[in-house]
Amino acid sequence: MNHLANITRKELKELLTPGTIVSILLVVILFSALGTAMSGESESSAAPKHMGVIYGGDWNETIVSYEHIDPVTHVPVTVDLSMDKLLKSAYLSTYKVSNPSDYIVTLTDDDEKAISEAIHEKDLAAVIKIPADFKTRFDSHQTTNVESYYGYSQGGIFSTVTSAMGKDIKNNINSILSFALMTHENTKTFAAFANSPITTTSHTDINGKMHDDVTPYAIYSALMGQNMIIPIIVMIVIVMVGSVVISSMGSEKENKTLETLLTMPIKRTTIVSGKLLAAAIMGLVYGVCYLAGMMVYSNGITSGISGGSVNLTSLGLAMSTLDWIILMIVLFLAIFSALGICMILGAFTKNYKMAQTMTLPISGLAIIPMFIFMFTSWESLPGIGQVLVFLIPFSHPMMAMNNLMFDNFLLVIGGVIYLLVFDIITILITVKIYNSDILITGIEQTRPIRALKKVFKIKEREHEERGDN
Amino acid sequence: MTDALVLDNVRKCYGDHEAVKGISFSVKEGEIFGLIGPNGAGKTSTLRMICTLLEPTSGNIQVCGHDNKKESAEVRKIISYLPEDAGAYKELTGRAYLKFMAGFFASGQECEDMVARAIEMSNLKERIDSKVSTYSKGMSRRLLIARAIMASPKLAVMDEITSGLDVMSAFEIRELVKDLASRGVTVLISSHNMFEVESLCDRVGMINHGELILCGTPEELKTRFDAQNLEEVFVKAVKE
Repeated sequence: MNHLANITRKELKELLTPGTIVSILLVVILFSALGTAMSGESESSAAPKHMGVIYGGDWNETIVSYEHIDPVTHVPVTVDLSMDKLLKSAYLSTYKVSNPSDYIVTLTDDDEKAISEAIHEKDLAAVIKIPADFKTRFDSHQTTNVESYYGYSQGGIFSTVTSAMGKDIKNNINSILSFALMTHENTKTFAAFANSPITTTSHTDINGKMHDDVTPYAIYSALMGQNMIIPIIVMIVIVMVGSVVISSMGSEKENKTLETLLTMPIKRTTIVSGKLLAAAIMGLVYGVCYLAGMMVYSNGITSGISGGSVNLTSLGLAMSTLDWIILMIVLFLAIFSALGICMILGAFTKNYKMAQTMTLPISGLAIIPMFIFMFTSWESLPGIGQVLVFLIPFSHPMMAMNNLMFDNFLLVIGGVIYLLVFDIITILITVKIYNSDILITGIEQTRPIRALKKVFKIKEREHEERGDN
Repeated sequence: MTDALVLDNVRKCYGDHEAVKGISFSVKEGEIFGLIGPNGAGKTSTLRMICTLLEPTSGNIQVCGHDNKKESAEVRKIISYLPEDAGAYKELTGRAYLKFMAGFFASGQECEDMVARAIEMSNLKERIDSKVSTYSKGMSRRLLIARAIMASPKLAVMDEITSGLDVMSAFEIRELVKDLASRGVTVLISSHNMFEVESLCDRVGMINHGELILCGTPEELKTRFDAQNLEEVFVKAVKE
């Protein structure tokens, strides 16, 4: 048992290095921050939203009167249900608010363009258009088709809340009207109507154009594959390629091949560029292969979820050849950024083992945007979050595909420019480090680290002396 | 004979620690010069400065008339450096490694000739086509020495050339170095093996605490310290 404890203690000492402990703490902090951000997003998506209503009939005209026992007073009460009361009750049942009229916006213009504008300008989650002859149809037990209009905005899983609200409102309207019918009429002869007095047809505004028979949920389902898969692939490629470069540097140092290479009659810039270029090409090949494979895999899974009913091409959401080229450029530049960071970190490694720990910052920077883009979008983040996510170079390939589909070119071009600047700066820093002594002597021999070590040694000595006394 | 290497008051500081304290010496063309000294004396820092891997804090180094700092690219063309415990790329075969390295000095037929010459010098025979990871320490060292001298450098800098090798391998390597010098190549070696230094070197310099404390032929040093061999000289000089 003593031997076991002895070996276990020694192994734990080797495994629990300051680097490992820092990485564990970072993971905890990272996931806590993500959880907090996601819960904020989740709360805001569950909050009551404004709903637009177009109704050409009389809002206060009684559609149906019915009597029921009040659940509180247990006294029979007669209810004259008007359109105003119906919508407020349906909204109340959906969001449990005390003042539903504050959230119902009356619209008059029923032109699709005007509806689109109202959705964006008045920040409406949905607009429902109820035909003016609703009461007449209701009286003659004819089902009425209510049109629902939505605006699709990139918001990951939270972009589906608008269609969820529309569905809930429709269901609640049906429930209220069914209840009214069942309390005073024998519904045997019109059971189907009594069960569902209204049906809905959905329309969704995408990039300023209204598309029929599609909901934000259906669009999200069709895009789910790429929303989930692309961030994962980018993360895997970045971590893998980054790890290869840092390990290569660690291995070069451990085997002392780097010293020999640095005395060859070639410029240091050539060594840096050669290493970067080879790893970037490898990363791009990995990325393209993974992307193709995972897309086939995800299509197989999500085709069942979306029912295969949404054709993204017909909605103007297909990737053109130019879009694919831009996506590859963004991916290549992001891989180059990762490699630049890794080359800088690699310069400080002493051996292969240390190189493995050095990949942690890269992994962290790739995991943060991955989780964000899997569940939400850049547009849904608060201002500071948008800035931070934009500054992480690996965010750009993760969000580029959606931005290209939704014609958000400004963000894509901004990302390309930022990545180019970031890459140039990292290469310059890398070349500077490769031209300095740090590559050979390590960071320990630099003036600040030696000064730090000196301070700690003095403190250690003071502690020892105090201990002796 | 002209000087192939000249060090003039060369200093190297790491932060506030002075590793090399104003070293000056010169090595003539075709000479084998040995740099000796205890661990941490500043030998490797000196060799690295000569090979342009480290920049001197102050002082001048000239290799075959080229200023080491201003003309580092020129210096790299005429030197070759073999670090202590150096390795080769393990996933390459011996031949592929030599080809990769020769590509920095020549191309086409000239490159092929260089590789052929190196293969012959390495004496690895059919094992030249095996992966470096399968080589013994002696084989690796022979491959690396062949690499270091295949481009016919004017100055070959070698750190602990026979460290950890068996008697036969060490002997073969020392013969290679002697042959190199006989062809006019200047050799600067650093070693803890006093027998090796005594038998190989025309002149010896001893560094202690970053300073050059001795310089001369092995015979001169033995006479000066009234010693039987260079090892005795080393011990007496360090104790002084």
